[in-house]
Amino acid sequence: MTRQRWRWVWPLAVLIAAAIVVVVEFHWRTLGYQPNIRDSSQLWSIQRDRVYSTNKTPLVLLGASRIEFGIDTKLLAKLLPNYQPVMLAQNAHYPLAVLRDLADDADFRGVVICDIESNGLAETYRDMQQPLVDYYHKQWSPSWHLHRLLLTLWQKHAVVADPQLGVVETVLRLIAGRAPPRPDYVRFFADRSGDIDYTQTDVAAARRHFDELVTKGQVPHAVATPDRWFAGLAPVYAWAQRIQARGGEVIFYRSPTSGILPKAEAIMYPPAQYWDRFTATVPAPVVDAAVIPQLSAFKEPDDSHLDYRDKPAYTRALVDVLISRGLVIQLTK
Amino acid sequence: MQFDSFTFIVFFAIVLAGYNLLRGWSPRKWWLLAASYVFYAAWNPPFLLLLLGSSTLDWWVAQRIDAAQSPRSRKHWVVLTLLVNLGVLGFFKYNRFLLDNFADLLALTGAHYVPANFDIVLPIGISFYTFHSLSYCLDIYRRKFKPTTSWRDYALYVGFFPQLVAGPITRFTQMREQIETPRSTTGAGLGLGLSLLVLGLFEKSVLADSVFAPVADAFFTSVAGAGPGAAWGGVLAFSGQIFCDFAGYSTCAIGAALALGFDLPINFRYPYAAVGFSDFWRRWHISLSTWLRDYLYISMGGNRRGEARTYRNLMLTMLIGGLWHGAAWTFVAWGGLHGLYLVVERGVREHLWPKDWKAPGVLRFAYGLLTLLLVALAWVWFRAPDFSSGIGVYRDLFALTSTWALDAAQKLALVVFFAVVAVHWLMRERNLRQICVKLPAPLLGLVLGVLLAMIVLSPGDNHAFIYFQF
Repeated sequence: MTRQRWRWVWPLAVLIAAAIVVVVEFHWRTLGYQPNIRDSSQLWSIQRDRVYSTNKTPLVLLGASRIEFGIDTKLLAKLLPNYQPVMLAQNAHYPLAVLRDLADDADFRGVVICDIESNGLAETYRDMQQPLVDYYHKQWSPSWHLHRLLLTLWQKHAVVADPQLGVVETVLRLIAGRAPPRPDYVRFFADRSGDIDYTQTDVAAARRHFDELVTKGQVPHAVATPDRWFAGLAPVYAWAQRIQARGGEVIFYRSPTSGILPKAEAIMYPPAQYWDRFTATVPAPVVDAAVIPQLSAFKEPDDSHLDYRDKPAYTRALVDVLISRGLVIQLTK
Repeated sequence: MQFDSFTFIVFFAIVLAGYNLLRGWSPRKWWLLAASYVFYAAWNPPFLLLLLGSSTLDWWVAQRIDAAQSPRSRKHWVVLTLLVNLGVLGFFKYNRFLLDNFADLLALTGAHYVPANFDIVLPIGISFYTFHSLSYCLDIYRRKFKPTTSWRDYALYVGFFPQLVAGPITRFTQMREQIETPRSTTGAGLGLGLSLLVLGLFEKSVLADSVFAPVADAFFTSVAGAGPGAAWGGVLAFSGQIFCDFAGYSTCAIGAALALGFDLPINFRYPYAAVGFSDFWRRWHISLSTWLRDYLYISMGGNRRGEARTYRNLMLTMLIGGLWHGAAWTFVAWGGLHGLYLVVERGVREHLWPKDWKAPGVLRFAYGLLTLLLVALAWVWFRAPDFSSGIGVYRDLFALTSTWALDAAQKLALVVFFAVVAVHWLMRERNLRQICVKLPAPLLGLVLGVLLAMIVLSPGDNHAFIYFQF
């Protein structure tokens, strides 16, 4: 093929591809979809790289969705300018594998806020976030770092970057007669924090689920007996102590919940047999939102997570608590 | 660095620009070598030392082989390189396999031994560049050509980034002139090379990762009792995935090389339209099958020492070929099954097939379908995590139940798989490059535009190319 022919072929190909992509992008936008960043082990690894900051103290947030969507990281950085917030929480996964990884990392000397409750402390759930740790140590590289930065940029601007709206997914939905997914009610950010907008979702349905569990007596049993559960805490204490021994700190923190959820948790894990034993013996500070009025005053629309509109106020309240207890140092406000 | 990553787009643009901005062939080769090492180091920088060491040693040993006067001395040098290369490959790839089997053997005698878990990471592409190096040294030993005195040229032959981590496994004779003769990007090479890159990425991102992988993964991760519908869906989806994944990589490699002015050999020639198993191996992973033929099968005597030895050599070649793919007995079973297919086919051709009789088209087509079916059934061992899962898959495939219901993903995977097979039959005697030349420019532009759009509209996780693990 002559050079001349290719001068026609490629501009035409790029034009056609761009036209198709623009039409599809427009189609999804008219249906109410907005660009959104998608979480991944690579996005997590970018944050994991940041726990070694030397000019500011790394303030590592561990946990699951409650802390991931409940803390305003940008505001946190402003309120505590000598700290660098690092979001390592993962939605729907308990965090102790990451706490273990940080304890094993001799170069980590930061402060950890580990959002956890009795269920998450059980040994059964200890490895939930281990795949992220394994990815970071075995596969993460500068090459993937650059890839993920560019992918984030693409996801920030293009609805079609959403895998759920991909061409194959769309064909599958057409074959199965399924409706397209609802537009996101969670807005996710490059720093892995997120905003939940509860005006965009069926809050009542989420709460009904927990209500039914309690009212019908279907709350599941604890995954371990109190003694077995308690015996399993020893390594967790050791991890906290190892971080402390290097000059860091671990703050065990329990996010606020409301409505029926605390009742369900109390049925599953009676506090006297579980949580209270933990708080009485753990060699690290505990910040339990349930017993701190300025934190428990916040209401969670689905009983479990804060609406994004409440995030700034909650973040300020939490920072005040941390400062008042001497757990973080505030240089300037 | 994967071809289907944003990083590769940036990398390739820089490499292409730098390559064409530099004046003089020597600086360009240094540039390509440096780029290739950056490409390799992107996975795991320390393993670059292994690649450097392996390349340097084999370059040096090849010169010693050539310089040696006595056959005995030549043999010593070639045995040395075989031991070093296969030793390194064995250490990284087969250590666990060997230790586990040793423990199993001891268990038969009543001894209890639990091998230590060394958690050794497999250097990416080690099987491929080891075969590059071995073919070079063995060819020097066989006096096929004189070794190169240029370390850079040899290192570029082994490390040339498009083919470094997953082939095609090129021979030095295929690359020597290209490396020694100045070249640059041409308009036609760039146009066709980018077209092949797009086609390869389409095969990988859209077909392998989006259409086939979810169905194959879902089936093979929970085989038990899936029913024949899901089993056939899963097995044929994996058949589609392995082809589109690997052929997609090879197509990208050939395209990237072409854009730089290099011509890599074709690695796949529409294998799912093969008529018979020897035909299949002339179409599937051609650079590996010819490597195994030239350096293993022929070295063992090939078909020169009687029928029984021929069958033995065929079987051994395929068993070792299976083990090359992965350190597990399931891969050996896959190779053994293909060895059996080849032995039976050869036996029938030698003893039962009428001499000089050309089979009618219908019969050839039927044999082609039988070949496809048996190839797909063999893939079970390539994908199954262990023997019990593999046997479970066969039970499901031939279960006498009425569970033939398919979900939307399985239906789509089957439709696309048969479309891929149909394309293979349509293209089996054709050449993709010639089609690109003959196709009217607007139509080619349209096809490429649609493929490009499909790639952009198929976002998802970056699945590593399956053959990277080999």
